[in-house]
Amino acid sequence: MPAFRSLFLIAAMLSGALHAADLRVAVLVQDEAQVSPQGALVPSSTPRADLVAYTDELAREICRRIRSRCAVSYVTFGEILPGVEDGRFDLGFGNFLRVPKREKRVAFSEPIFRSASRLVGSPATARAFARKLGQAVRLDNLRGARVAAMEGSQQQAFLDAIAAERELTVVAAATTAGAFGALRNGSADFALLPIRTGYALISHDKPRRFGFVGPATADHGLGDTVHIILPKQKEKLRHALNQAIAEIRADGTGHRIMRRHFPVNLD
Amino acid sequence: MPPRPELYPANRAFALLAAAFALLFAFVVVVLAVDQERAREASERLQQQTVPKIIRFQRLARNLDQLRHEGELVFSSDTPEGRQQSLYLVMLVASHPSILEHPQAAAAAREMEAFLAETGRLATQDPAMLRVQQGEWQQLSRRLNLLVDDILVEGANLATADLGEVADAMRLTRYKLMGATILLGGFLLLLIILLRQHLLRPLRRIDRALSSLSVDRPAPEFPDARLAEIHAVEEATKRLHDALVSNDAARRELQLLANRDDLTGLMNRRHFMESATTELRRAQRYGRPTAVALGDLDFFKSLNDTYGHGAGDAVLRTFAELLTESLRQSDLVCRYGGEEFAFLFPESTVGQAHILVERFRERWAAQEIRLPDGLLVRATLSIGVADTSHCSIDVALQRADFALYEAKRLGRNRVVVAAEAG
Repeated sequence: MPAFRSLFLIAAMLSGALHAADLRVAVLVQDEAQVSPQGALVPSSTPRADLVAYTDELAREICRRIRSRCAVSYVTFGEILPGVEDGRFDLGFGNFLRVPKREKRVAFSEPIFRSASRLVGSPATARAFARKLGQAVRLDNLRGARVAAMEGSQQQAFLDAIAAERELTVVAAATTAGAFGALRNGSADFALLPIRTGYALISHDKPRRFGFVGPATADHGLGDTVHIILPKQKEKLRHALNQAIAEIRADGTGHRIMRRHFPVNLD
Repeated sequence: MPPRPELYPANRAFALLAAAFALLFAFVVVVLAVDQERAREASERLQQQTVPKIIRFQRLARNLDQLRHEGELVFSSDTPEGRQQSLYLVMLVASHPSILEHPQAAAAAREMEAFLAETGRLATQDPAMLRVQQGEWQQLSRRLNLLVDDILVEGANLATADLGEVADAMRLTRYKLMGATILLGGFLLLLIILLRQHLLRPLRRIDRALSSLSVDRPAPEFPDARLAEIHAVEEATKRLHDALVSNDAARRELQLLANRDDLTGLMNRRHFMESATTELRRAQRYGRPTAVALGDLDFFKSLNDTYGHGAGDAVLRTFAELLTESLRQSDLVCRYGGEEFAFLFPESTVGQAHILVERFRERWAAQEIRLPDGLLVRATLSIGVADTSHCSIDVALQRADFALYEAKRLGRNRVVVAAEAG
């Protein structure tokens, strides 16, 4: 029996050696209310426009492809990049635009999709500002408005940069839902949001009071490719991650996940 | 004599050829490497830039098609809720970076989004406005379709242009490779011809000349060689022939000196015995008659004692000169010792030899000999002749000696033939 027990232990050790290391994964939530007190994701009431469910499924699929057991944490945008930078998270799924400032702090995967930014607001507010401005509201002519954005986002960085010149008041919120909430409670005139997030929020908003305002833009760091972030030193993990992204793109898994949570599939 | 062409040292000539070949080869390699690099760059551009661009065009086309599709849904939705939902999707699609970065697509998307938003607003007030707006929507939809087609064609054209460039580069490389192969082949052919012309053929000529080098043949002649080393070997071959001829002449001279009697110039006894033995062997093999004779000058000692050794020498020299004049070329004669002379008469019976020596004896007896002091004297000769057809030269000479003794005994100045039974 002792011999059998030793053999079992060796087999167990070998099977353990074959498992890749566990990964701590951060997944972005739009709203703290989407996370239960136990840290689990609360299912969305609108299944066809749920960015968090999409990001969660994408994260789990990538974990499966890189043969890792992932411990998923649902966190706000502002927690992800510092968490990845100081090693608390191995992967950060926060739809990060790749900009030089962030590249100094973390590493980026290959792109997972492309994004742009667009103002969201009520048609009435848009008309009021159009009258004031003498032309239709656009991001590049907006003046004297209160604009909400998510903390730590490129949108907030852009607004901060032009706020003084354009007499804008930047209303920062921890989440995109918070930024959208500022619109709803009247503490902001507009919200500058990533297009998918904006779409998810305005399509969830039952009274349908809000819509996109003005054209979208991908300039000034407000749009382009969106990536998963990871610590800089983990080159092997980055290689495995990129391979997994290429695989799910090539075999259509990425598109299927997108279509499960969004009515359109945009590349 | 035409001027001799310039000579080239072989090592320098071959180093020059090798350098030329290396340069040519390097040139070909560089040319092919440049072309290969061009093909590689075109291929890399296709892979790194064009293909991603084509994929972007395809995605843009798909997104525009999606935009058109969602626009259709604005018109086909039964409820304001459905129309609004489709309008949100139109806005989402129109906001995508792939559309924003393409000016035509962005303009078309903005126009379509504005039109659909206005349509939605009008339809909320009066659903019948949907039919009113339908015509303009069809035009917008058609224009968008054409734009999708244009974008797809643009993508395909990019691929065609890049693939054409790759194909051109490969074709050019193939032509250059063929040219390079012909050039190198030609160079190798030229090299082979030059080697054959200036190395192999001259070496064969030298080989033939050395194989047939002989004193009996004239000195070998070589056409003008261009390689200094070949020319040197040819000259050495000529010098070798000259040395062979010279050595042969020296050998003959030495042989003559070794076989002749110093005083008379006739064969010496050793050479006579060798030659006679050989001749006798030949004659006996073919059953031919041969005869020998021994002759001795009569009273030679008295002549020496009376007139001195100088007189004796003069007599001997005169005797030898007369012998040389009188005998046939095939006859052998030597100074056998002192005033004694031996003869061998090939193809002659004893009778014929007897006639010959008798005739000579008579001439000698009539010959006046001038001595060193001017005095004229005559001398006689006694000869013994013997047949040698069936015995050795020694036996035959012994018989001739007996006959000579008999001639002396009978009073000298006569010829006596030895009896067969000796």
